[in-house]
Amino acid sequence: MTTQVAGIEVELFGVPRVLARQRALRVTGSTLGEVAAALGVACPALIGAVIDGELRWLREGYTFVVDERFTRDPAYRLAASSSVLLVSSVAGG
Amino acid sequence: MHGVHGRYLRVDLGAGRGTPVPLSPLVHQRLLGGIGLASYLLDRYCPPGADPLGPDNPLVFATSPFVGTGITTASKIAVATKSPQTGVIGDSLSSSYLALALKRTGCDALVITGQAPRPTLLVVDGDRVALRPAAALLGLDPVATAAAVRAELGAGFRVAAIGVAGERGVRYAAISNDGRLAGRTGPGAVMGSKHLKAIAVRGGALPSVADPAGVAAAARDLAARSLGPGSAKYREIGTAANLAFFNRMGLLPTRNFQAGQFEAAEAISGETLLLEHRTGKHGCAACTVGCEHHYRTRDGGPVTETRLEYETLFALGSLCGVSDPNTVLRAAARCDALGMDAISAGATVAWAMECAARGVDLGYPAAEIPRFGDGDSLLRALDAIGHRQGIGDLLAEGSRRAAAIVGQGSEGWAMHVKGLELPGYDPRKLRTLALGLAVGTRGACHNRSSAYEADLSDRLAPVAADRARAAAAADAEDQAAVLDSLTICKFLRHCFGDFYAEAADLFTRVTGCATTSDDLRRAGARINNLKKRFNISQGWTRADDKLPPRLLAGNGDPDGLTAARLDNLISAYYQVRGWAADGTIPTSHLDEIGLADVFAEGSTRVARDL
Repeated sequence: MTTQVAGIEVELFGVPRVLARQRALRVTGSTLGEVAAALGVACPALIGAVIDGELRWLREGYTFVVDERFTRDPAYRLAASSSVLLVSSVAGG
Repeated sequence: MHGVHGRYLRVDLGAGRGTPVPLSPLVHQRLLGGIGLASYLLDRYCPPGADPLGPDNPLVFATSPFVGTGITTASKIAVATKSPQTGVIGDSLSSSYLALALKRTGCDALVITGQAPRPTLLVVDGDRVALRPAAALLGLDPVATAAAVRAELGAGFRVAAIGVAGERGVRYAAISNDGRLAGRTGPGAVMGSKHLKAIAVRGGALPSVADPAGVAAAARDLAARSLGPGSAKYREIGTAANLAFFNRMGLLPTRNFQAGQFEAAEAISGETLLLEHRTGKHGCAACTVGCEHHYRTRDGGPVTETRLEYETLFALGSLCGVSDPNTVLRAAARCDALGMDAISAGATVAWAMECAARGVDLGYPAAEIPRFGDGDSLLRALDAIGHRQGIGDLLAEGSRRAAAIVGQGSEGWAMHVKGLELPGYDPRKLRTLALGLAVGTRGACHNRSSAYEADLSDRLAPVAADRARAAAAADAEDQAAVLDSLTICKFLRHCFGDFYAEAADLFTRVTGCATTSDDLRRAGARINNLKKRFNISQGWTRADDKLPPRLLAGNGDPDGLTAARLDNLISAYYQVRGWAADGTIPTSHLDEIGLADVFAEGSTRVARDL
C-alpha cells in the first residue's frame, strides 16, 4: 500500500526553472512518477519541453536527483524527508 | 584516402619559408585528425626538454577529415604545443572558419617552428607562404587584429591572433579566431614567443569525400538530432545553467575552493543571467546547436556585451567571491580582449585573494592586491596580468609558479594539476572526476576527461570499486579523444544514439576507410597513449599525477577523498590503461595498440627509450 507524501518540494534548475519562473514547486506523490505527473498539473508550462503530456513523465534530457542520487526511475519511492531536484540529465559542459 | 589531403605545411619562421610535407594515410587511420593529428605532429617536432617559449617548441594547427563536410559542429581546429604553463602537452580546440580555411589550402595541418626576428603576420594563401611585418598590430585585441589583417589582405582570409597577453608572454594566453579561443594551456604565449601576432589563411578546394550522398544524408540527420533534447540545455541557457545546480549540490568552487557553495550564487546563475542580461545567442562555424549565449551589463555603467560560459562564470564569479553579474561580464570581456584563458586567470587571481586573506606578503602595494568579493580589484588584476604590470607580472605566471615565487605556504592553496588550474567542478564530491583531473595529460581539465559524467549520473554506485571508476575515467578520456580528433563538439555527445557506431559510419563515408566502433575506441586509447608518451619524453613522472592537498583532506568524512584513496585510484587507472606501476608505457604496449607503427611511418624518434 502506498502512502502519498504531501508537500514534496521539487527544486527546479535550468530550463524547468526558466519555464516555471519559479525555483521550486510543491506537489504530492509517493513516487517520482506521481511527482512528475503532479508537476505537469501544477505547472502546465513544463508540459512539452520537460514533461511528456501523454506519458506524464520526464522527457528525454531531464532527470530527478533524489537525495543526491540521479534517477529516472518513475517507481522510485519518496520519503517525506526526500530532497528532490529536477535538472537536465546532460551533465557539465 | 578521402577527406584529407595527405600532407601538412611546415613553416620555419626563422628561415621564412614553408614546405609541404607528405603525411601517411596511416596517421589519419590510427589517430583520426584534430587533436590526434596535432599531438602526433607535436611529438615529431618537439625535442625532449624544449623550452616552451623557445624556437624549438612547435606550434601545430590541425584539421580533421570531417572539417568542411557539412557535419554539424565539425569545423574545429586543434592546436598543440608544449605548454608554457605545464611543461607537458598543451592541446586546445576551438570552433571557427579558420579550420575551413586551413583545410582549403591543400594541407591538413600547419606546423610552425622557429622564431621570427620581429613582430610578424604569417600569411598562408593556398600553397604560398609569406611573412609580413606586424609591428603596427601590436597592442590590438584579437578581434581588432583580425579586422586589421582582413582589411589589409582581403575578406577571404581567416585569421588567428593573439592579444596583448600573448605578446607579453602571459603563460595562459590564448589564440583567438572568429571570437573563439584556443584558450587552455597557453598556446597564445607560444605564439607570442615566436613574435607571431597573427596568422591569416585562405585557400581553395576541399578534398573529396568517399560517399558524398551518404555524408550529406548522415549530416542532415545529425543536424536534426542536434536540435533535440540532447542539446536543449546548451541551446536554451548554455553551460551557465550548471552554476545554480552545482551550487545546490555543493560542487561550485567558491573562494579558491575553500567551499563548494557560494551564498550569492543565485545572483550570477545562468537562469538569472538569461532573464536579466541575455541579448542573444550564436553558433560557431558550421554549427546547428548555437550554444554561445551573449549578455549585456545592466548597471548604468559603461555597457559591455560579451559571451559567457560556465567556466568563465565560476572562475570570475564564485571562485573570486564576486557576486555582481555586471562585474563578471566585464571580467569575461577583458579576458577575451586581452586574449587569455579565463579559468587560469580567475584561478590565479583567486590564489592571490586567498594570500591576501591569510596575510601573506605578496610584495606589491596594497592597492594592487585583489580581495575576495571585490569586483573592482578583480578587474584591475586582470588588466595588470594582461599587460604584465605590477602584481600582474607575478600572476601572469599562473598559480603554480606564482606560489613557488611567493612561498610562505601559498603552494598549499595553488589549485592546479601539473600547473593547469582546475575547472569549475569540486572534485571532493566527484570521485571519478578527481581521478580524471589527477591523471589528465594536459593537467586539470574537464574537457579532456569529462569523467564527471560518471559521477553526475546513475552509471556508477557512490561506493564503486576503484577499478570500475578507473575504467569509467579511461572510457571518458577515450571518448573525448575521439570527439576532439574527429573535431565533433562535445555538446553533441548526447545527440547520438550509439556514438561510436555512428561516428565510425561517418568516418567510413567521409574517408572511404572501413571503420568500426572498436576501431574508434582503439583510436581514442591510442591518442591518449600518444599524449602520455609525449609527456614522458618531456620529463613526466608519476609524482605529477596528483591533486592539490586541499582536495585530499577528507574533510572529516570517513569516505572522503584522501591522498591514499587517490593513489589507489591512480594505480587502478594505470592497470586499466596497460601501463606499468610507475605510469610509464611498456614498449610492447605501443605495439599492441598500434602506435609503434605510426611512429615508424614518419618519425625518426620511434626508438626513443620510454
